[in-house]
Parts: sequence; structure tokens; C-alpha cells
Amino acid sequence: MRFVPTYRPRPSALHSARAGVAASFCGALAFAGALDQHPLILGAALAGIALAAAGAGVGREVLAAMRIALPFALLVTIINPIVYQEGNTLLFRGGEVLGQRVDITLEATVAGALAGLRVVVIIVALWLMSVAVDPDALLRLFRRISYRSALTASLATRLVPVLARDASRMSEAARCRPQPAGRLAVARTALAGALDRSVDLAAALELRGYALGGRPERRRAAWSRHDIRLAAAAGSIVLLAIAGRIAGIARIETYPELRIEIGPPELALAAAIVTLAAAPFAGRAARLGVARA
Amino acid sequence: MPEPLASAQRFTYTYAEASAPALRDVTLTIEPGTFTVLAGVSGSGKSTLLRALCGLVPHFHGGTAEGELSVAGLSVRDHGPGELAAVCGTVLQDPEAQVVMGGVRAELELPLEHGGETSASIARAVEETALALGIGHLLDRRTDTLSGGELQRVAIAAAMVRRPQLLLLDEPTSQLDPVAGDELVWLLRRLNEDWGTAVVMAEHRLERCLPAADRVLALAGAGLACDAPPREFLAWATHSAPGLATPAARLFSLAGLSPPPASVREARAGLRSAAIAPPAARPAAVASARRAAPPAVRVRDAWLEIEDGPTVLRGLSLDLQPGERAVLMGRNGAGKSTLLRLVKGLIEPTRGRIERTGEVALLLQNPGDYLLHEHAAEEAGPEGLLRAGLGGRGGANPRDLSGGERQRLALEVVLSGGATAAVLLDEPTRGMDRAHKDDLARRCTELAAAGAAVLVATHDTEFAATFADRVVLLGQGVVIADGGPAEVLGRGWHFSTDVARITDGAALTPEQGAGLLRDRLEGALA
Repeated sequence: MRFVPTYRPRPSALHSARAGVAASFCGALAFAGALDQHPLILGAALAGIALAAAGAGVGREVLAAMRIALPFALLVTIINPIVYQEGNTLLFRGGEVLGQRVDITLEATVAGALAGLRVVVIIVALWLMSVAVDPDALLRLFRRISYRSALTASLATRLVPVLARDASRMSEAARCRPQPAGRLAVARTALAGALDRSVDLAAALELRGYALGGRPERRRAAWSRHDIRLAAAAGSIVLLAIAGRIAGIARIETYPELRIEIGPPELALAAAIVTLAAAPFAGRAARLGVARA
Repeated sequence: MPEPLASAQRFTYTYAEASAPALRDVTLTIEPGTFTVLAGVSGSGKSTLLRALCGLVPHFHGGTAEGELSVAGLSVRDHGPGELAAVCGTVLQDPEAQVVMGGVRAELELPLEHGGETSASIARAVEETALALGIGHLLDRRTDTLSGGELQRVAIAAAMVRRPQLLLLDEPTSQLDPVAGDELVWLLRRLNEDWGTAVVMAEHRLERCLPAADRVLALAGAGLACDAPPREFLAWATHSAPGLATPAARLFSLAGLSPPPASVREARAGLRSAAIAPPAARPAAVASARRAAPPAVRVRDAWLEIEDGPTVLRGLSLDLQPGERAVLMGRNGAGKSTLLRLVKGLIEPTRGRIERTGEVALLLQNPGDYLLHEHAAEEAGPEGLLRAGLGGRGGANPRDLSGGERQRLALEVVLSGGATAAVLLDEPTRGMDRAHKDDLARRCTELAAAGAAVLVATHDTEFAATFADRVVLLGQGVVIADGGPAEVLGRGWHFSTDVARITDGAALTPEQGAGLLRDRLEGALA
């Protein structure tokens, strides 16, 4: 299981769509999660991402993201009730620590858990983008919009796998020492080498003429059925999330008392998000190497 | 006389915070369409000269430059690497750090997009360059799935895609097996002949590239020591810089023959013109009587099958005897590194078993990976430093040591646990000059004399011939040849030394070959 998201071409609708559209689709799912705190909507966004990942054939890769996202979510869940003392339902009376009362309430705990779930949705959606959208095409798009940002992004996207490989080699070398070195020592040396590596990569970019600042020509190509479906799904998800917010659907109050509305509108909104996320993958599959079919 | 493509007039360059210049008073010219080899021992200034020709020196590295160096009329003091990229393609030492995009096609498109080319011309240039370099089948691959050799070709293609007038390469064959290395040199020669691209290539294995070269520039002590065609360079090197002479040139020199040949073909012709028939092949020596002793390491029917990947080892069996000096050879991807990791216990075989009578020390390909502390003394202790030839340099940061010094130190790090049953080294001679190889061979011989089985995975046939008493050749994950050096290398085609090719396998090293030739000469005179 990889801890560095790695793009591989696959015969899926998401992989075949143009980079801007595919990134927008993943961004829309992250947006739905970021905009709402309702557990049903967050769950729908997560289910949508899982279905999209399965449809794109990257289910295992996106599952790896959970191993990074869940500790973050747990941290947020734990910290929130310690920091926020609001809420009427007391679960645990912790007394005073450094002159501050520490009472754990049900409301603060649930609010923390929902914030954690939101973090999970955003991380997993961005992970899906990393494994299913061609970074070269995305950088090309960026270079047309913001040249300097694209330069930084180029360095960063290349540096991550290079450093991961360096760290893996160093960790193997550390196991060859008679007294194996600790992970901290290996991580410290790998990080210290990051500067050298970034200098090497920057030199390579210089030699490829990056300083000339030429912007890539816009490539005009007809929209494929995958482009159209994914763009429609992405736009619909964003519009639904905003409309639901404006209409007051999926309202949630955490303080002072927990109130989560679950009724037909919430269920319909959640079902719509899941359906829209899965819809582009229905029907005839994409073919590898026929990106615009 | 055509206008020179590059010219230097008393060019001197000192890196920032360095006490001595890396290039001193260099005066030279590079003509269009020529194939030039840069020779010199480690630290002589080859890489710095290449970095100056592509504009990284002084623009990217800082430091101070004096004198003049211009490429296609552009002074490197006024024009940076971006501007020079239009006339000059560059491939530096580490191909992994040369590739900046995730896909091969995007990698080739990038320089053209920076140059403001249209989509149509980009598509055509990418296709043609890929075909010219034989990487058409790689265009839709991801760069992180390529082997070292494939990555090297992609880096060269990315440097060539704008059809530069000058191509600069820093040790491009150092990571390649003999077959891939020879192929690459001839590919460069074809580009040079077909496209008229001037090639300047720094290389330690001169025997590999001199046959393709028009001219050799030898650097010594940061200055230009020799500028001559290959044969004149070899005549100079034989007397003034023996470490740079090729095995064939040393063979002729030791046998008292002249002129020194620049290729195996020339050497054979030289022998014919001197009326010396190649000596008859001697019967191969029986490998070792020590094989009766209990082995230090025993590999039995080892398989390594990668999930969703290739089968790397296919029922491989191998015994290593105490005190044995063995080398492991085979093309890139034959399973050499995997076998070493298996013997050390870094990975487990999917089937089969490994038996070890004691500790196994393994030095992997990048010695810098072993060095985790701020000071050399913290890595190997005072005795280790002495054995590494670094006495008195305990306070130095390992990152500031040279490649050879880092490797010696890393070897002492893995040996610092006390007595070892086996010492394994993975490609230790990569990018090393002959003096450093000799040092390494001496240290390995000491370890073998102390009772350790020494196994060195290498592509370097010359090193194998001088160091080993046993050569194991891997192919497709199994042992395809196993015997004494004379038996395996003397009869090899690609896995063979130049002297073996010249003498039809009768000798492997210049010293052995010269002895045979002198006998023949004396016989002929008598």
C-alpha cells in the first residue's frame, strides 16, 4: 500500500477526462464536504468519493488515504471537546487543569467528530485527485494560468516521490548497520538531503529552459462524453450543495444542545450527491489510450 | 575552418566558499559536429567543465569566474542555462534527478513548450526524437516505472528534443550494464553523425567510448592536460597519466608495442601487422578447491515473486565459501541487487531458503545513505576512520567527503559490528576512477584474507578480472555461468574484458596479456 499518491493511467472515465474537468469533479466532492457539517451530507460525500474511486479503479489507493486521514480526524475529535467547554450534556467532569475547567460535553465531542469527518472527506477527495488526474496535464494547465506557481508545483510534485524513494533507500541502509539506526535519524537525514535534491531538480528545470517562461499553447480538443459527464456531475454537486445551504436543508446545531435534522430533504440531498458522484462511471467504460473516446 | 561551437580562453572558476579553483586557465575549442570525450580522475574538473558549458556555472552555482567561455557565441558569464538551453542539451550524472515530469511524453514536451513551439511542431519533434533514441515504446510510460537505462535514454531525449547543436553528458554509462552502455555510446555516435550534433561526454570507462570519439580532452588538477585525438591521447596517457590509459593501450605498452590502439579492432589489427597471432586460449583454471569447506552463505532454490510484478529470482542456488572473492554479473534487472538483499535478510524469498554461518555486511549502491551523523568520527569510530583512510578527518561532515571517501567510510560502517561471515557490495565501482577501484579491491582482498566471503555485484568486467577468483553470471533470475574469471569472462561476449577480446580469451588483464604477447614476440624473433 502506497503512502505517496501516485498517478497511473487507467481505462476509467475519471482518468480519461481532461485534467481540468477531472480535478473539478474531485474538487466538487471536497467542496460538498467542506461546505456542510451534517453527518448525512458528509457521509454522502465520502460514499460518493468511494464509489468514484471504485469506478476509476483506484479503490485500494484511496483506501490508503484513510490511514493518513483517520489519525487527523481522531486528533480533531479529541482536541475539540478539550478546547470547547460549551454544550449542555456533560459526559465527563475533568476538574481544573492550569486554572482552566476541563469538562467534556457530548455536544463538543460530536462537533469534534463531525469536524474530523470533514477533514477525512477533504483529504480523501484530494487523494482521489492525486491518483486519478495526470499531474503533468494539471501542471500544464497551471503554467498557462500562473507560471511561478506552476514552477513551485512542478518542483513539489517531483520532489515528493524522489524524497520518498530516498527515505526508503536510507531506511534500508539503516537496517544494514550493525546497530540499526532509528527512524528519527533516518528521517532527519532524508530531510537534510531534501535541499540537495531540490537544488538538483531546480538545475534540471533550468536546463530544460524553464527560465525562458514560455507558456504552453492551448490545446483545443472536442469534449468527450467523459468530460461532459464529469463536468455536469461536478457542477451539479456544487450547485446542490450551495442550494441546500441556502434553502436551509441539512441544518445542524451543536451548541448548546445537539440538533441534527434528518428528514426527506436531507435524505434526498445525500442521495443526489451519491448518485451524481457515481453517475459518470455508469455505462460504457473508457478505453486506455483513447482518452477522448 | 568552421566557427567553433564553444571556446574557452583562460577560463578559471572557483565554487563559492572553495579554497581552490575547480577549473584553472582552461583554453579550448569545440568544433561543430565533433565527438569529444572528457577524461580525468575523480575531482579533476570534468563535471565542472560540463556545468560551465551549459551555463549552470557560474549562474546557478555562484562562485567566481575569470576569463572567457562562450557557447554558440553566448558568453556563459552573461547568459544563463535557460538561454543556453536552445543550443545546448545537458544530461547530468543522476538520471533520477534529471527527469522533472511524471510521464515520458510530458518530459519531452516540456523543453519545447518553454521554447514557445506550437502543438503541431511539439508532437512531431517528440515523435521523431523518441524514434531516434529508440524510446517510442516508452512515450506513454510513467517515469517512475522506468529502469535506470530507460531513464537515462529519456533524459537524453529530453536534452535532444530541441535539436541542440551541442550535447553534454556526465558519465552517462555509469549505471548501465556493458550491453546497454555500448548501445548508448553508439547511439550517441549515430546522433552525432546523422544530426551533426557535437557531443561532449565525461566518462571514466574510456575503453567504452574512445572508439566513437574524435578527440579527447584530459583534465588534471583543474587544468587541461591533454587535447588530442584518441590514439595520441592514449600515447600521452600511457606515459603521463597511466590511470587514464585503456586496458588495450596498457596491454600494448606493457608488451612494448605501439601505437596504442583506441579500440579492440585496432588492437587486433596492430597484432596482425606485428605478425603476432592471438595467443591460444589457455584451459580455464578450475575455480576453487576451497569449495569443499562449509559455505559462509548457502542459497537454496530461492524464488522471489513480486505480487502483481515480475518473478525476479527463479529457483536460484548459490554457495559462498569463506575467503572467496566472487563477483556477481548480469544485465540490468537480472536480479543481482535482489540476491544481495536476500542474502543479507532485507527481504525474504517467496520460496527456498538462505543459510548464513554468521553476520552478513551489505553495502548498497548509494554509500551516502549510510551516513546519518554530522561528523565522520560518529559513523565508524577512530579505527574505522583509519581503515577508511580518513584518519584526522573525523570532524568532517560526511556530505563534504568525496564519492570515494564516502564509500570507504560507509563500508567501515557496515563492517563495524565485528567479524562477518560475508561482505556484499552492490555496484561499488560506479563512477570510480582506477585508483579508487584499486583501493577498493585491496580492502576487499583484506576482508577475504580475514575469512569473509566477499561478493561484489558489478558491471565492471575489468574490475572483476583483477579482483575476483570466481565470477557468477545471472540471467533471468538464475545462475547461467559460474566459474573462475578466465572461464566466464574469457569466453564471454558482452561480459568480457577488452584484453580477452583482443587475445581471444587467453588473458583477461593487460598484465596477463602482455606476458603472453611478449612470449609470442620473443618466439617470433627467435
